[in-house]
Amino acid sequence: MQKDRVTHFTLILFFLALIFVDAASLFTMQLLQNQTPTIFDVVTQPPSQQNLRRFENDLEDSSWLVQQLRPFVQSVRFSMLNDLGKKAVRGLDGWLFYDLDVRYLTERIDKSDAAEEEVVHSILSFRRRLSERGIQLLLVPAPGKPTIYPEELTRRATGMKAPINPWTRKIISRLESEGIQCIDLFTLFTSQKNDPQASLNPTYLIQDTHWSTHGMILAASSVASRLIDLGWTSRGTTDYIQKSISMSRLGDVLKMSKVPGIESVFKPEIVKAAQILHAADRKPYADDPASDILVLGDSFLRIYERDEPGSAGFVSHLACCLKKPLASIINDGGASTLVRQELYRKPDLLKGKKVVIWEFVERDLRFGTEGWQDIPLPEDPAKL
Amino acid sequence: MKNRMTRYPSACFLLAFFFISCTGKPDSGEDPEVTSRGSIEVTAELQEIPGEFIDRSDYDYAFVMKYKVLEVHRGQLADSEYIYVGHYNPQKPRDAVSDARVDDVGGRLKKFNSGDIHRMALEMPIDDHFMGGIVNRYFDEYSGPVYWAVWTNPVSR
Repeated sequence: MQKDRVTHFTLILFFLALIFVDAASLFTMQLLQNQTPTIFDVVTQPPSQQNLRRFENDLEDSSWLVQQLRPFVQSVRFSMLNDLGKKAVRGLDGWLFYDLDVRYLTERIDKSDAAEEEVVHSILSFRRRLSERGIQLLLVPAPGKPTIYPEELTRRATGMKAPINPWTRKIISRLESEGIQCIDLFTLFTSQKNDPQASLNPTYLIQDTHWSTHGMILAASSVASRLIDLGWTSRGTTDYIQKSISMSRLGDVLKMSKVPGIESVFKPEIVKAAQILHAADRKPYADDPASDILVLGDSFLRIYERDEPGSAGFVSHLACCLKKPLASIINDGGASTLVRQELYRKPDLLKGKKVVIWEFVERDLRFGTEGWQDIPLPEDPAKL
Repeated sequence: MKNRMTRYPSACFLLAFFFISCTGKPDSGEDPEVTSRGSIEVTAELQEIPGEFIDRSDYDYAFVMKYKVLEVHRGQLADSEYIYVGHYNPQKPRDAVSDARVDDVGGRLKKFNSGDIHRMALEMPIDDHFMGGIVNRYFDEYSGPVYWAVWTNPVSR
């Protein structure tokens, strides 16, 4: 009994000392660097929820002890528990998933998330504003990787028949019932996966959150066919050719994990890309701001297009299918609201447009940066 | 004396704080970087930080904050009293903020606090200098130019 008490007191003293040493070292180091110590923020800022949360984050981020220990702890957790950290989820057979993609499917919908009404209202409002200018809207929700490959996340999902993203499907159904044109990549990618021939070529990268070249080309072809079928545009006359490029790419999920030395554990994925070149001069595809089609979207448009090798992403391949250059705004992680704010700042990009294609990743329905705000269109360039 | 020092550590830290505060030279924020980078250079007071920064370590973005201009050192501002400035990844100290994507930003500022004074080298408009997510919570109330912070140093009062 006496021994237990001694152990308890020793542990209590040890942890108290740890807290004190950390706080004292942070305080002293900030003073020596001529900075106001973070601890004073708690009295110099009004005690609002935002300020207190920022204070807590600042304390955590600026702690010298935390910064020194974090890489070591991450390494130990990875080597002993295979834990890749808060942002990455390790699946089966080497597949890696982004935490937010998984949370989107597994967490109960919280009141603070962008609510269904907000999403639907924002998209309908954008369609109405475009329609008033004679511009059509085509929606391209990009499925999250675990929606298409849940069996690579957990064995329990093997053979699942029912859709695992009922909330996404509910929103898309609501939008379609309001007359919004949506590209259903969920069905397309799932049927590809279930096709024994095509299943050898996954539509998503193994280590990355994004689609593979195969998935991206399927999406671009599907969008091009829908635009032609709807009569919203016609094929142009520019001839493009494809150049195959093979490259090694370390997936973004691994980069997010921040485990020291992770690059030496996982080999980069060999990725096949298809760069689009002008047939006439073999120069890589380039946007034309005066095009009658504007593409808005997030990192699903950025991959291969602005990343290595360049001109090999969704926009280039859609342009290749339609035989004409397009205009685009690519806003990493900002397809719910930020990309439309960017469009507002660039009124000339709407000049002469007949169609706007709006791509966003499925998880943004709940976790979109800055939610789903109602953003006006910029002043009509014709009226300026 | 030694006993008292160990008995009252918090008092010792406060004493150290006042000592260092009194002996430190006032910092005008001037250095070769802030005076040569960007096309505009100002000293301005951070009026407010509009809400929380984005709590996603995987997301690189610019966050727009409102400043009251105290002095224009170089270049010309579109608005002379208040300016709106986008800072890249504002949770990070300025000397650790540049990365493969944005390699030309920096400074000596460690963290953003409303009411602090900063000396900044700026560019304009932000869209010409930063191709990523711009979190602008003044979107509804302000439609003028947003500046891009290239270099940010703290200024002591």
